[in-house]
Amino acid sequence: MDLDSFLRDPRSRRRFFRMSGMGVAGGSAVFLAACSDDTKNPVRLGPDESDQADVEILNGVLDLELMAVAGYKTGAAQLRGEALQIGKLFVEQEQEHADELASAIKDAGGTPNRAKSSYDFPELRSQRDALRFAVELENTAVAAYIDALPKFTSTDLRGTASAILTTEAEHISVLLGALGRPAAARAFVTGEAG
Amino acid sequence: MVAPAMTGAERISIVDGAADSAQIAAFERDRRELIRRGLAFGGAVAAASSIPLLLSVRNAFAAGEADKTILADAIRLERIAVLAYGRVIARGLLSARIERLVKQIAAHEREHAGALTTALTDLRLQPPPAPTAKDIDSVVEGIREIDSQADILNFAIELETAAVAAYHDAQQRFFDAKLLQTVASIMASEGQHLVVLRQALNKPPVPNAFETGSK
Repeated sequence: MDLDSFLRDPRSRRRFFRMSGMGVAGGSAVFLAACSDDTKNPVRLGPDESDQADVEILNGVLDLELMAVAGYKTGAAQLRGEALQIGKLFVEQEQEHADELASAIKDAGGTPNRAKSSYDFPELRSQRDALRFAVELENTAVAAYIDALPKFTSTDLRGTASAILTTEAEHISVLLGALGRPAAARAFVTGEAG
Repeated sequence: MVAPAMTGAERISIVDGAADSAQIAAFERDRRELIRRGLAFGGAVAAASSIPLLLSVRNAFAAGEADKTILADAIRLERIAVLAYGRVIARGLLSARIERLVKQIAAHEREHAGALTTALTDLRLQPPPAPTAKDIDSVVEGIREIDSQADILNFAIELETAAVAAYHDAQQRFFDAKLLQTVASIMASEGQHLVVLRQALNKPPVPNAFETGSK
């Protein structure tokens, strides 16, 4: 599937992210307005249950980080010059996020998910395609972290997640700028594609 | 030597036997870091304008214990940011492109203040009073000494960095889920402001993988 078709069809995007192992949010369609009452208060669980719940959430966002690493590596073939430098930096930072999450999972007694052997990415035919797909990956990550934040039982993990999601938002700004689009157009960054 | 200006309200008062050693240690760490950063700028302008501001911003959330207190402090922070940006824009030192950028950032801060005020009133609490000129001067002392576009951009970076740090701290203190998510979306927005401001100064736009507002 080409990128335009992929981005135009919400069902394709939802299916893709679900099949890619994303366990936290259903694509970039998780916004503040969609917050349901089940997130009225943070989760209250016993110690073992807390760790287990955190591990599940962490593995969900780890899946996304691993997919982002793969996505940037795939897109790099279409990047040149400054855009390639951006891609190289961001793939390193996504890997740092993945490493941090894997470490947190181990600390909580869990087993970190591994990257899939392959991802069924849409076809990226140009630098513009690669940048637009990267924006989609980053938006999805931002939405997932915002969805996950109140579900963490550990306040330390909330700090880690908010630091990562802010970095993902920064990535989006840089990518949008490289696409010639406004880099900081919205007062609330929720992962909503736009 | 830079001597951060502090009001009485910003000081940590230590009652005999009641000192919170962790809070004091954190304050000292921040203070040393801020002084180091101010000196690293090498200019009296940056030091005079940003250090008092940063101390006030960081401490604003450090004292907050409940959602309502943190919210009120966040509203005050955003409102003061709006006014501070208004003041630096009024200096007439910015190119048209950078002025548009700073105006947009100020508009975002105004939206942040509005959303946080709504959140506070949803909790059936009164928003804090609007900051006065005296309040602003107490946290952005030295702003009148700014005399170039670069000074303003550096000042804005310091302000946004401090806001990210404050929201990062707040993330670990809020209890209400929706507030957590609102604050996260605002923190991410402040991060995007940092990107465009850094780019305007030809600095690396995303210097590290974990944006916490610290350096």
